[in-house]
Amino acid sequence: MVSENTSGPLAHISSMISSFPLIKRGAESEIRLGYYLGLKVIFKIRKRKSYMHPKLDIYLRKIRTKREAQTLVKALEAGAKVPRVIAIYPSLGLLILEYIEGMSLKEYLNRFGLDAELIKEAGRILALVHKAKIIHGDPTTSNYIVSKRGLYLLDFGLADLGQDVESRAVDLHLFRRALESTHSSLASKAFNIFKEGYSEVLGHEADRIIKRAEEIKLRGRYVESRRRSVWKDVGGGQ
Amino acid sequence: MDKVVLGIESTAHTFGVGIVSSNPFEILADVRKTYKPKEGGILPREVASFFSSVAGNALAEALQQSGLKIGDIDAIAVALGPGMGPALRVGATVARTLSARYRKPLIPVNHAVAHIEIARALTGLKDPLVLYVSGGNTTVTTFVEGRYRVFGETQDIALGNLLDTFAREVGIAPPYIIEGMHAVDLCAENGEFLEEKIPYRVKGQDVSFSGILTAAIRLVKKGFKLSDVCFTLREVAFSAVIEVAERGLAHTEKKSFTLAGGVAASDILREKASLMADEHNVLFKPVPKKFAGDNGVMIALTGLLALSEGITIDVEKSFVKQRWRLDEVDIPWYPKIPQDL
Repeated sequence: MVSENTSGPLAHISSMISSFPLIKRGAESEIRLGYYLGLKVIFKIRKRKSYMHPKLDIYLRKIRTKREAQTLVKALEAGAKVPRVIAIYPSLGLLILEYIEGMSLKEYLNRFGLDAELIKEAGRILALVHKAKIIHGDPTTSNYIVSKRGLYLLDFGLADLGQDVESRAVDLHLFRRALESTHSSLASKAFNIFKEGYSEVLGHEADRIIKRAEEIKLRGRYVESRRRSVWKDVGGGQ
Repeated sequence: MDKVVLGIESTAHTFGVGIVSSNPFEILADVRKTYKPKEGGILPREVASFFSSVAGNALAEALQQSGLKIGDIDAIAVALGPGMGPALRVGATVARTLSARYRKPLIPVNHAVAHIEIARALTGLKDPLVLYVSGGNTTVTTFVEGRYRVFGETQDIALGNLLDTFAREVGIAPPYIIEGMHAVDLCAENGEFLEEKIPYRVKGQDVSFSGILTAAIRLVKKGFKLSDVCFTLREVAFSAVIEVAERGLAHTEKKSFTLAGGVAASDILREKASLMADEHNVLFKPVPKKFAGDNGVMIALTGLLALSEGITIDVEKSFVKQRWRLDEVDIPWYPKIPQDL
């Protein structure tokens, strides 16, 4: 893994990246597709925010880029299928990730309907991420990619270290809400299969988390998350 | 004039009476009586007794400003929440009395909705993303399927509360506002940014300010320069709310953005909001400063919109709701603004 802290010699990297095609622009970052050391890769760049004090801006980009890389590496070590971190340049707010070619699970479900094995695998992956003491923060069907090499979970931009029942349950809940808002006809069946996959990995530990996810649905939080699922649909998601 | 509505605001520190008309939409009266504590913060009981003592005069002044008689008013709108119970009950009592005595329909208005509606009416932005920041609220919201949905909010204290509490704790307030500027803004002049001293908390779509407050007070106690702490606290807190708004814009793909609520009067916040909007090619117009803080006009104009949809409430059922959430209110008039009525 490459890690740099100076900005001067890195200028050529920035200019090289800007020549690659932009495939997605989110609130947090720009995603470009290009080549690095001969590999086809994703360049995820956290852009400068002009409304922030420069010192705050640089600090946040640095720690967020590092945290994203750190959570990805931990998830990978735990056996979760997530993109490999190829390189990280914290001072540029740049993360270079393995390119996972494929279609989002959201699109896949829309086109081909319910695929039990894929949904179960989605549950297994999230459980592995949780086992690595990571909360994903945004595990919607848009952030799972169906590739030739199987299912992958992407975008750890909002991920953080943690293993409390509540945060894990919120992750489950976010997946359910994504199902309900975009694939409502198959949502409840799909979420049951998802829970099977999740429990397969976490065993009895999963019971409490699943129970909490049900409570979240029923309590005030339900309303809150329900509102939020609306947003997942309206815009980008990255 | 088509309809004339008198609105009463009494959720927090200001007892406001506003009178507006539709067709043409005009602000006919704007009277505000604001409770200013000599020391410490706002005590609900004291505010309530202050409100009781000024309510009669405020009403008389508003009618005089408008040149109307009570008989010319078509309906009475009142902010029933969210806010402080004792304060809310004064406004509600006055409104119920007017409604019952003069047989005018009573219109229930949610204070948060009113802040959004006055921003929409006065900026002309019909479908914006809204950052609503005040002493009691910090919310990023926009209209989706019938209601203003909360995209993100504070997990603990509100932005205005953070600024006020800090100012009070370190002895630079009250008064909290001096010639239109907040004590923290005045103190932050010539301040410099303290790196990594105050925690920045944006969690997904939410912000958290309590950690900022604790850290900032501790820095002052440790002997850091007050102007540097004020500057850094404001920088961190404002950046956090603007970042949540930015995430909201990216998700919702709204093409316009407005600031509402008392803290929307801050020039620094307006500047940051404008810079962010520019980066995303979004049209930015904040609520005019004069109508950023609590006022009766916003209650009246929201009442006008509600009345156009036949929304009224029986006096016997017009309870105040201290915790009336923004997203519990149906907004059937959307995207209309008072100018459209």
